[in-house]
Amino acid sequence: MNFILSSLIFTPLLAALVVLLLPVRRQKAIKAVTLLGTLVQMVLAILLYFRFDGSAFANGQQGYQFVEKLHWIGFSLGTLGRFQIDYFVGVDGISISMVLLTGIIGVIGVISSWTITKNVKGYFLLYLLLLTSVTGCFLALDFFLFYLFFEFMLLPMYFLIGLWGGPKREYAAIKFFIYTLVGSLFILIVMIGLYTSVIDPQATAVQLGLIGAGGTAAPNAILQVQQMLQQNMVSSADMVRTFSIPAMMEPANFIPGSLLHVLSGVELWYLPIRFIAFLLLFAGFAIKVPSVPVHTWLPDAHVEAPTPVSVLLAAILLKVGGYGLIRIVYPIFPDAGAYFSILVGGLGVLSIIYGALNALAMNDLKKLVAYSSVSHMGFVLLGLASLTTEGVNGAVYMMFSHGIISAMLFLVVGVIYDRAHDRAIQNFRGLAKVMPAYTTFVIIAFFASLGLPGFSGFISELLVLLGGFSAPEATGMLPRWLTVVAVFGLLLSAAYYLWALQRMFFGKYWIFPELRAKATITDLNFREYLMLAPLAVLALLFGILPNLLLDKISVAVTGMTQLTLQNGQEQLELVLSSLIR
Amino acid sequence: MELSALLEPLAGTPQTTTALAVLLLPLLAFAVLFFFGRRLPGQGGWLGISISAITFALSVWLFVQTWNTATFHTRITWFSLPAVFTANFTAGILIDNLTVLMLVLVTFISTLVQLFSVGYMHGDKGYSRYFAYLGLFTFSMLGIVLVDNLLLLFMFWELVGFSSYLLIGFWFERPAATAASKKAFLLNRVGDIGLLLGLFAFYTCFRTFDLEALRTLVTAGHWTGNGFILGYTLNGQPWLLELSPLLLTLAGLGLFMGCVGKSAQFPLQVWLPDAMQGPTPVSSLIHAATMVAAGVYLLARCYAFFTVDALTVIAFIGAITALVGAIVALTQYDIKAVLAFSTISQLGYMVMGMGTGAYSASIFHLTTHAFFKAALFLNAGIIIHAMHRGLHRSHPFTHLDPQDIRNMGGLRKILPLTFYTYLLTTAALVGLPLFSGFLSKDAILSGSWAWAQTMSRGGNLLYFVVPVIGFAVVLLTAFYMARHMWFIFFGSFRASFEVRELRLSAKKEIENVMALPVILLAILSLGIFFSLNPLSISGSWFLQGISLEAPGTKYTLLADNLVQAVLAQGEANHTLHIVFGVFSTLLGVAGISFAISKYKNKPQEALWRQEPEGAFARLSYHQFYLNSIYTVAFIKPVLLLARSVYRIDKRVIDYTLNFGSKLLVVFAKIVSWFDRLVVDGLVWLVAALSKLVGGLGRNLQNGKVQSYYAYSLFGFILIILYIVLF
Repeated sequence: MNFILSSLIFTPLLAALVVLLLPVRRQKAIKAVTLLGTLVQMVLAILLYFRFDGSAFANGQQGYQFVEKLHWIGFSLGTLGRFQIDYFVGVDGISISMVLLTGIIGVIGVISSWTITKNVKGYFLLYLLLLTSVTGCFLALDFFLFYLFFEFMLLPMYFLIGLWGGPKREYAAIKFFIYTLVGSLFILIVMIGLYTSVIDPQATAVQLGLIGAGGTAAPNAILQVQQMLQQNMVSSADMVRTFSIPAMMEPANFIPGSLLHVLSGVELWYLPIRFIAFLLLFAGFAIKVPSVPVHTWLPDAHVEAPTPVSVLLAAILLKVGGYGLIRIVYPIFPDAGAYFSILVGGLGVLSIIYGALNALAMNDLKKLVAYSSVSHMGFVLLGLASLTTEGVNGAVYMMFSHGIISAMLFLVVGVIYDRAHDRAIQNFRGLAKVMPAYTTFVIIAFFASLGLPGFSGFISELLVLLGGFSAPEATGMLPRWLTVVAVFGLLLSAAYYLWALQRMFFGKYWIFPELRAKATITDLNFREYLMLAPLAVLALLFGILPNLLLDKISVAVTGMTQLTLQNGQEQLELVLSSLIR
Repeated sequence: MELSALLEPLAGTPQTTTALAVLLLPLLAFAVLFFFGRRLPGQGGWLGISISAITFALSVWLFVQTWNTATFHTRITWFSLPAVFTANFTAGILIDNLTVLMLVLVTFISTLVQLFSVGYMHGDKGYSRYFAYLGLFTFSMLGIVLVDNLLLLFMFWELVGFSSYLLIGFWFERPAATAASKKAFLLNRVGDIGLLLGLFAFYTCFRTFDLEALRTLVTAGHWTGNGFILGYTLNGQPWLLELSPLLLTLAGLGLFMGCVGKSAQFPLQVWLPDAMQGPTPVSSLIHAATMVAAGVYLLARCYAFFTVDALTVIAFIGAITALVGAIVALTQYDIKAVLAFSTISQLGYMVMGMGTGAYSASIFHLTTHAFFKAALFLNAGIIIHAMHRGLHRSHPFTHLDPQDIRNMGGLRKILPLTFYTYLLTTAALVGLPLFSGFLSKDAILSGSWAWAQTMSRGGNLLYFVVPVIGFAVVLLTAFYMARHMWFIFFGSFRASFEVRELRLSAKKEIENVMALPVILLAILSLGIFFSLNPLSISGSWFLQGISLEAPGTKYTLLADNLVQAVLAQGEANHTLHIVFGVFSTLLGVAGISFAISKYKNKPQEALWRQEPEGAFARLSYHQFYLNSIYTVAFIKPVLLLARSVYRIDKRVIDYTLNFGSKLLVVFAKIVSWFDRLVVDGLVWLVAALSKLVGGLGRNLQNGKVQSYYAYSLFGFILIILYIVLF
């Protein structure tokens, strides 16, 4: 069981290798291998989920579970210390939900991809590569490793949209690629900055001879190293710099006088350099979330991508953005997080309202769903910015819940597109008459997404809004009117979904005459039940029993929230005081 | 006081377990009917009815166990967040007098309406789907009644909205029905947003949603000059609150917003008339008797949390709603529309009662209204059915509106059972003595008078507007109901087919399954069932059970002083009660006689072709043009905003990006030009220069001894010159 995380990451890769070796014409075998690979991954993820101990709080270097840490790249730089990159993976309450989500959606995506006919081998190869890189992203605890997987995600996604997409696929693929690439450049800059500023206390202790090589980390030794470091008693040659995210989360590991140390006093454009670093990282991940105003790649990518790719994109890839914010940005720069809470929360609320208004204006059902994603991901930002227990737990819950529900929404859109090769709302009327089962699932998906109690979306929206509303008292973040405005997003989401239902599914049955020749409007088949029903059940399950997820995530998320809040307020004072000096 | 101690799990009792069964059985009916209904014998309608009957029986048992004897509370931890300043989120069932009253009411009417539906929905393609939806509705409605905290209440509240959405849009092929269902859901959501914000406000202050815990916390606090002071501990951490009256009032009004949406109060009432697009039994159960009363139930449940200011707003909104509903009902021609506006008006009464401290009177009116209004709607369903039957038998192709009362007339003789039950229930609605409506409405009116007296002690007589409106609405109600009865049952039949075609057969008026519920409900609109003295509410067993002093009810807390004063004033007004009773009876009789005198001598042709005439009548007929105003003021601007926002996406953000990328390409072109001309040019230049220099050097080395001699001589001369000159 010790290698369960590596198995999770590399199972799809292994399946991809098998697919690579299969001849092109063995399409069934290729599909079967892919399905098997994702099924194994899902089983592993579920296993991991149940074996994961939700009551342990991951603080600093300890507390991550199923950790695997191997030296990967390391060499001495002489007087500049040691250069070191680790293969460092581990799981905590923040990542466990995302891993589970990836496992489930991976399988659903394969079922939905079953009808792909064009270049099957290439498609499934890329599909599996994508899954590997996303899983890696969620499990990596080394920033470099994370970045590697983060960047690698782009490649399969680019081709999946660019080759298997709709008419404007090249435009959409390039737009997606450039947007995300710009974002990752920002992240890269900060990553290098962090690397020059942070040491690995344990490795440094080994270097200093405080503990023997390979010895377990004695807390005292680490504390000693950190004190020595802050008192400038560690020579530069002995510093082992690191990309380890847990190490970066501890202010004591920052080298005094380095660029990103709280007391560095460096300013850029009238802002402390740490704030700039925060903004760059935030921008990088906000593109992925996506937050208004850097969201316009999303509707295009969704509209052009084939259904399963849309499902993966909405359900998992967007989560990498929110996950990055919670895992990396806030814990490492809590001071800036506290300082910019109104910016983050404001962008969240802007996304909620702006996305919902856009969805209201859409005539393309898939675009409507895409903009609703923008709107719902705004809740993640709002919850995070509140830095309250309810808000951040709600944000993580929202990421999971949106993963399930948005997958369902895109699948539902795919169903009608498969039949009519069109999904313009005005081209259909009264579909409920001929496709009753389909309409039932549409209603479930729509109402789950608009936050009907009983579905997981309600719990997440409730927690986020509760956190946002009580934030002024509880944490001093966010003015209250922001949350009040956000609540109106609930009204707008009801409006665009119900209007779409009314126009497309109710009324007398009618479809646009030009579509009639090509379209065969039939109700759901077995394969479609197989992919929709589990999602509906999950949305219900996590809406009625929030414990199922909260028991696993809440300790870690709450701990991280409180740590961020506490560190944030302390460090914010230090940063501002260092500027005055 | 430690909050987490107030939220300890409480063990189940047989009563709460039974209540859980009552809650879940309708859900089971929904699941079975929705997935397998079509395969069941008889399409499963009997299943829904028998489950309803079982829940009714269980509810009666619970009623006997609880009424004026005990309260039962079971609670579990639903989910929790591990932080010191969050309490557990709990879930539980709370049974007290109010709960069991609503339980019996809902299950009883639900059973009767389902029974009625067997006849009404017979042969409909969605027969089993219909019963499934009713099961879902009953489940959600019972949830609202049974749960012990505001969060769960909100969840069931929204679910009720959802099932109402499904039932209004039941005939989804009708555009009007689907439009109405959307409108109902959205307007309810407007109210729900207020409700949600109210919940957030309470949570922010008190860190819990549990009703009993909230009441205990509020009890512990007290008013000072600055506001409401309250201290408690949560997980050992002290919380000291100083809440401004404004905040508490706003929080209370947030809760009230939920009621405004669901109970169709002004200005959100416009969804209710449209909701009549649903099947008529649905209108009867959901949009007259139970769901719309949920708002009043919410007010009753949260009565402790309203401040005096909040109650004042509630009283005025209720009065305005009662008036607006009654005025609009004056000129409607659709048989269901009249009843719908009457429902709005009566809901206004109930809310007004809540606002004026007439808590028990309001609940009383909720109950009596549920019976007589359900019966009225079922009767309307019988008439609509009969009109359809008549149309179908004689003129299948004429476009005659079977719901338009102008097409009816003289049905008294041909549908006697319907007539007499209609008459009984109308009398109850108008509030004639001996009928249930008389008791409950008078309780509200005298309560509101006492309230106005108490409030205006400072000299502000404006508060008397509320009871005055209350009395005016009695007159209006009597008028529109008499007009309604006259159009339907008196005069002669005006549609163009034989009136006897309306009957099922010569011997039979309607099916028995449809007659039984109507008769039962009509009988229950007699006052004797609620008070042994049907002319006075004093000593009514019913009122004692739901009064603010009843067991399990924890008084009014934030507005305690006011309500106590109003109750004392009410006691002091003892003789006035008789005057009010006589006065409202006189008003009712006046309204009826006015209507009869207006329509009695009109020729049938004039009634048939009547249109609203005059500015006031048109204003009333078009519901004060509220729908058009909302379209212009809200819907169109939002849609416009939505489209312009999309334009921003395309024209501003994407344009900037595209422009940026084009700029980048141009820049890249410039760089490439620079690369070719300047960078490459420099390299070329170097090459050319070296070639030139090389060429020069090469020419020197031509291999001729003479040249070499000449060069060395030339060099030698240069050296000599250098030495000589410098």
